[in-house]
Amino acid sequence: MKSPQQMLPLTEAFYYILIALYKEPAHGYGIMQDTEKMSGGRVKIGAGTLYTALNTLLKKGLIDHYPMPEGSDPRRKMYQITPDGKNVVAAEIVRLKELLAAGEQVVNETKE
Amino acid sequence: MGEHLEKRFRFTTSWNYEKEEEWLNELSAQGLHLKKAGTFHSLFTRNPSVRYTYRLDYQPGLGTERLQEYKDLYEDAGWEYVSSYKGAWHYFRTEWESGDLPKLYTDTESLTEHYKKIQRVIGILMLTNVIIFSTNMVNVLNHYSGVWGIILPVACIYVLLFGLLGYGYVKTGKKIKKITS
Repeated sequence: MKSPQQMLPLTEAFYYILIALYKEPAHGYGIMQDTEKMSGGRVKIGAGTLYTALNTLLKKGLIDHYPMPEGSDPRRKMYQITPDGKNVVAAEIVRLKELLAAGEQVVNETKE
Repeated sequence: MGEHLEKRFRFTTSWNYEKEEEWLNELSAQGLHLKKAGTFHSLFTRNPSVRYTYRLDYQPGLGTERLQEYKDLYEDAGWEYVSSYKGAWHYFRTEWESGDLPKLYTDTESLTEHYKKIQRVIGILMLTNVIIFSTNMVNVLNHYSGVWGIILPVACIYVLLFGLLGYGYVKTGKKIKKITS
């Protein structure tokens, strides 16, 4: 597999899907709701975007199918993040921090 | 008693499927709701008390199980599965609400991927047709002579088909360029 850095940057949808699954395994609809909640209603992932993103993440091995718990609706497929997926999230956070730090430094320096 | 279905002439192209969405949404506003998509005619039910927003999605080659998974996911997200066309185009609807109409593809990246998928299939279709047509031509011309009366009209139809597919390919390419620039 590629190094985590090679998968970056993630789109907002990919990022939110991964961090939603970082918390706990979820089904598609759960990911959508969680994304909306975490972004304060700003990021809404459409069904087509979510469906293609889940397929891409599965193919890249960043997420995996989660074995269905007993007694749950078997039609609702659940997903979980893989160790590779967690590495990509970690690498993305490092990248975002760098962006943030560089931006803040420049903005603060030019304030005076 | 079965429900009454009304027919409407359907003309659509893969590279301009948004036009079909608009058309379906307009009809739905008038109380006519798509039930089944067909090649030349689509079937509609009449009910003036509801209104839907229709969306088309292109997902070819889903097997029975994956198709069910796909439908379940869209249904969870609030989309009712309505119909499919040739097992590749899928029609969804949700109750209409004022304001921005809901979309299936909510960011540029995924919409670009979606358009590219459509473009790829148009490209492959065109290429296979060119290959089939040229091999047939070579065979026919090697074995028969004086059949131009048949070859010419066939060739004309093919050229038209290539032209149309080529147009679709370029059109989809322009759509991609427009949203990514």
